[in-house]
Amino acid sequence: MKKKIYSLMICVLAVCFLTFNAMAQNPAPKIVGLCLPEAGTDKGWNEQAKVGLEKTAKKYGFKIMLAEALGYGDIKPTLRDLVKKKCELIITHASGYQTVSPEVARETGVKVTTVENHKDVTQGLISDIDTAPGPGAYLAGILAGRMTRSNIVGIVVSAEPPTWNRMSAAFAQGLKSVNPNAKLLYSVIGEDAYADAAGGKRNTEDQIAVGADVIFGQGDGASFGMLQACSIKKARDGGKVWFIDVIGDKRSIDRADVLLSSILFDFSVVYDEIIETVIDGTFGKQHWSSVSNKAIYLLNPNKAVSEKIKKEVDAARSKLLSGEVKVMDIVTAADLHKYLGESFPK
Amino acid sequence: MLFEEALFVTVLASTLRGSMPMLLAALGETYAESAGILNLGIEGMMVAGAFASFLVGLQTNMVPLGFLGAAIIGAVLGGIIGFLVIGLRLNQIVVGLGMTVFTSAFCNLLHRIIFGSQFPMLWGAGMTTEIPVLSKIPIIGQPLFNQHWLVYVTLALVPVLYFLLYRTSLGLRIRAVGETPWAADASGVNVYGIRYLTIILAGVLASTGGAFLAIGDLAFFIPDMVKGRGYIAIVVVMLGRWNPIKVFLGSLLFGFALSLTSALQVAGLKVSPDFILTMPYLVVILTLIIIAKSTSLPAALCVPYKRGE
Repeated sequence: MKKKIYSLMICVLAVCFLTFNAMAQNPAPKIVGLCLPEAGTDKGWNEQAKVGLEKTAKKYGFKIMLAEALGYGDIKPTLRDLVKKKCELIITHASGYQTVSPEVARETGVKVTTVENHKDVTQGLISDIDTAPGPGAYLAGILAGRMTRSNIVGIVVSAEPPTWNRMSAAFAQGLKSVNPNAKLLYSVIGEDAYADAAGGKRNTEDQIAVGADVIFGQGDGASFGMLQACSIKKARDGGKVWFIDVIGDKRSIDRADVLLSSILFDFSVVYDEIIETVIDGTFGKQHWSSVSNKAIYLLNPNKAVSEKIKKEVDAARSKLLSGEVKVMDIVTAADLHKYLGESFPK
Repeated sequence: MLFEEALFVTVLASTLRGSMPMLLAALGETYAESAGILNLGIEGMMVAGAFASFLVGLQTNMVPLGFLGAAIIGAVLGGIIGFLVIGLRLNQIVVGLGMTVFTSAFCNLLHRIIFGSQFPMLWGAGMTTEIPVLSKIPIIGQPLFNQHWLVYVTLALVPVLYFLLYRTSLGLRIRAVGETPWAADASGVNVYGIRYLTIILAGVLASTGGAFLAIGDLAFFIPDMVKGRGYIAIVVVMLGRWNPIKVFLGSLLFGFALSLTSALQVAGLKVSPDFILTMPYLVVILTLIIIAKSTSLPAALCVPYKRGE
């Protein structure tokens, strides 16, 4: 009898505890704002954010208020407008917004999530998403190092934000690890040439002209120009020029079959984490998009990639996850130029 | 590292190709400004031309029809600007900027409605035409004589437009309207007609320049792809002092500076990319400073005209 009473008491206590806990949790936000610098259909950085948030919205049942193509200037009026429209959380998806977003959060008290701005993280008010795409780019570098025939590989970037820089450095490290004799070319299209497709094509063609047969392109809209250059130009040996893309999946438009792979981002992973912090009351953290939480992964390589190379890439992934191999984290353009200059002397 | 022949050839080819959108837009702007109309809607016209050409080309699967579509849209937009600034005598700067903002946003909206998150490519666009014999000349043959057909047409247009503007009575009338419209009117020149004609021509050429970007150089449309080339065209017109030949040289200069930004990085110069990327703009600013002293705008530029006032 005593046993039964004890069991009953434990059950009652457990139910009380669970009920109390559930009552202590906050509800998920009803409306979440998303600010994008470019169109949310760019098959790149912006589209992945939109798609990721839509996935999270479905899971947690909130409404998205989208503000896109905002450019890289002062978006305070847009943020204030989103606050007026009752957004309980605003995700500002560009490193260029890292100054104004915290200002508006402090001014209005509305929760904001920034990108690449962990110094402003504030408990209950500002959280931040940092990207650790290095491991993904490192694997792409291994792929490039194994697929190049000319031993000349190129990187073309549409700008030099921290995420691009991290990927460029890690790509170079991966390339160097399997092909120490490879030459690496590095071109920047412009200050913020994310949509400069003609510039992407021009820079890629120049790299192909001097012998590059694998191009690692980071460009948003500009990467369409890079893909086109790889599609229409032949390498010096008359063979294909391979293209490694980032963030988006361009297989549907790759008629020339030159897309070697792509480093894909699944932002829903960090968005889920952020919503969970809103619910459990711990909002205001630095979150990471990385290979380890599967927010970043490599698209299945082109069928031209041999099983041997795929196994090598898989082995490298295991080493990265186990910590046996560390990918360097270079954030600024100046540090990146220095590293590339030292690792691949001209 | 290597400023080798292959890179030189690519730079030469991309100089020519890269300067075409600006050149086409600047040639049209030369005529509009010579007649007294500052067309700040040029950027929007280029965006509209790029989008229209891609849409028509994709729907009909015929690239030349894409260019035709762009030209028609350009003429319509030119006509609208003409009506607003000539007919209603609205402020040219406000109308021009409004046109750019509206057309850019509207094209992006249409792109979203029609294609959603798809970015189809127009296969067959961007093909070059090789001129027999000439294209076989060592080094310069391929970059100069294996270009898109519109490059040859545009190059042929430069002397024609120069001749028309400076060696014919029509050209004289256009310039007269841009300098002293009342005097031109008094001598029997149709000021309104001339201004409408030049702004429509500006629209056609700017839109064709945008079309060249979308389906001449590239094979797709993406929002914001014009990237300020229209505004650079306006600078080039000033640089060329309303002379089509000089405008051509100015466009080439800017195109060359743009090509160098990538070539110098690939060539392995130990200079920061940041510095290299500022070069085209430095070149333009320096050139403007050098020639600014001797530049005099058409006297009636931006001045609305009404008979009797």
